[in-house]
Amino acid sequence: MSNVPEGPAESRLEQVSRILIDDSSRVPVLIWFTSSVIWLLLGSLAAMISSIKLHHPDFLGGIEWLTFGRIRPVHLDIVFFGWSSMAAVGALLWLQARLCHVRLPWPLLLSGLAMVWNVGVVVGSVAVLAGHGSSIEYLEFPAYCAPFFAVPALGVLAANVKMYLGKNSQHTYVSQWYLLAATVWLPILYVTAMLCTYFGLVQGVSQAITNWWFGHNALGLWVTPIAVATAYYLIPKVTGRPVHSYHLSLLGFWSLAIFYNWAGTHHLTGGPLPAWTITVGVVGSMMMFIPVITVAINHHMTMRGVFHMLKTSPTLRFTVFGSFMYTVASFQGSLEALRSHQEITHFTQYTIGHAHLGLYGFFSMIMFGAMYYIFPRITNNEWSSARLIKVHFWGSSIGVLAYGIGLCWAGWWQGLMMNDPSIPFLQTVEYVKPYLILRSVSGAGMTIAHIAFAISVWRILSRHHFVMSGPTLFTTERPAWREFVNEQNKREEMAQ
Amino acid sequence: MFLISMIIWATALLGAVMTVWALTWAIKRGEFRNLRQGAASIFDAGEPIGRQTDFFPTSGKGVRP
Repeated sequence: MSNVPEGPAESRLEQVSRILIDDSSRVPVLIWFTSSVIWLLLGSLAAMISSIKLHHPDFLGGIEWLTFGRIRPVHLDIVFFGWSSMAAVGALLWLQARLCHVRLPWPLLLSGLAMVWNVGVVVGSVAVLAGHGSSIEYLEFPAYCAPFFAVPALGVLAANVKMYLGKNSQHTYVSQWYLLAATVWLPILYVTAMLCTYFGLVQGVSQAITNWWFGHNALGLWVTPIAVATAYYLIPKVTGRPVHSYHLSLLGFWSLAIFYNWAGTHHLTGGPLPAWTITVGVVGSMMMFIPVITVAINHHMTMRGVFHMLKTSPTLRFTVFGSFMYTVASFQGSLEALRSHQEITHFTQYTIGHAHLGLYGFFSMIMFGAMYYIFPRITNNEWSSARLIKVHFWGSSIGVLAYGIGLCWAGWWQGLMMNDPSIPFLQTVEYVKPYLILRSVSGAGMTIAHIAFAISVWRILSRHHFVMSGPTLFTTERPAWREFVNEQNKREEMAQ
Repeated sequence: MFLISMIIWATALLGAVMTVWALTWAIKRGEFRNLRQGAASIFDAGEPIGRQTDFFPTSGKGVRP
């Protein structure tokens, strides 16, 4: 280990510039990330209570605010607004600053907006637990919670645009397209959905259209682009190999941007909607094969020949797993949109299995990978334990696979049984019950993984096992980099 | 119902139009030229192509494999 950054001056300047950019995002990104980890734990708790109630309905049955109709939406909303969205914003801010080669603007404001967002999740969750939630999935939080999310979303959009307009890089890297688009799409989706739903514009069947236009797009046009952007940065960056086909990566982004918006109504297949409305959703879903295949080819081919790095890099392990699950969950989702498929799987456990393969197997795993990369770089500290990271990886990956495969399998047969009028309904319930227990067991595995992750995060923040240099990231000691920056500044001052 | 359908579909259409506009803007701006160079834009002399940048922590001093 040398005392100053190695290599020629140009190289050292690039390293110093990168470290200063990382430093600029430290406070806001840490607040967004740390909040998301806390919500991940609370979301896991709500998930476990909901899941156990499915096979043991009397569990906590005497507590009104923990009834299934309340705790389950709280799980979903905490995971979506608390964990997923906050992790996504943290990754977005760090990544965009790096890719634009600019320092993160308005760190105090962005930190404040994270706290506003947190207040929104707290108020919304308490309201739902108290019985004031709506029954509209993903929009259960009461209308008065909307400003807590709309205002920060606009603030993040403004910061993102400011960074892009002031960028010091000539090229717009593929991840930047995804990041910019996601921050433009979220406010449009959220504000439109809230206005339509809560201000009397939408009732009855059309409310369901609004619901799934928002619900599906919130996943596909908000958290998905950020996760794909993160993978497009981290896989090449960690392996040291450029994206296999940059042409394909751009085709993937633009096809997602054009087609995804139309896919949401496939959730209402079989519902009392005009047939063409459903057909638009089915066509949009089929077109999604294009971006998904491009991402699958790119990520797999970029990894080709370097899969052994999965043994040595925690970031890569989580990110590649997430990318693989993106292909699986998206293929499954597109096929699920077909009417013939929906005839079997609608109203079954299959949908829940698919949702977890997507939001957890794909999105959450990539966010975990991102955090393993970003935390050391903004805290100037090393992860304390490889064992904790491995517990996290195996707990979450085995957990989500058991969960997803188990519920999809159970749901498929559940659907076939429900379509057979000679089979009593109770028999289908009995058939599914062991899989519901599997759901709780695999959920427990994921929860243990989250606890291991939270311990790692706590340790890195509290500087437990403080290491300023190590294998995760540092080729040179950071204090030496700081000295180098000071020297450079002095030289510039003297030259002036 | 009609009004609502129009609002939703108009928003969806607006999204599609915005996307096509952004694509046109990007083409005119030359974002799709020199794509090979673009793919390498995340690397620099400090973190060049060919260097792995993330590893599991080891106990203590950190030895790079």
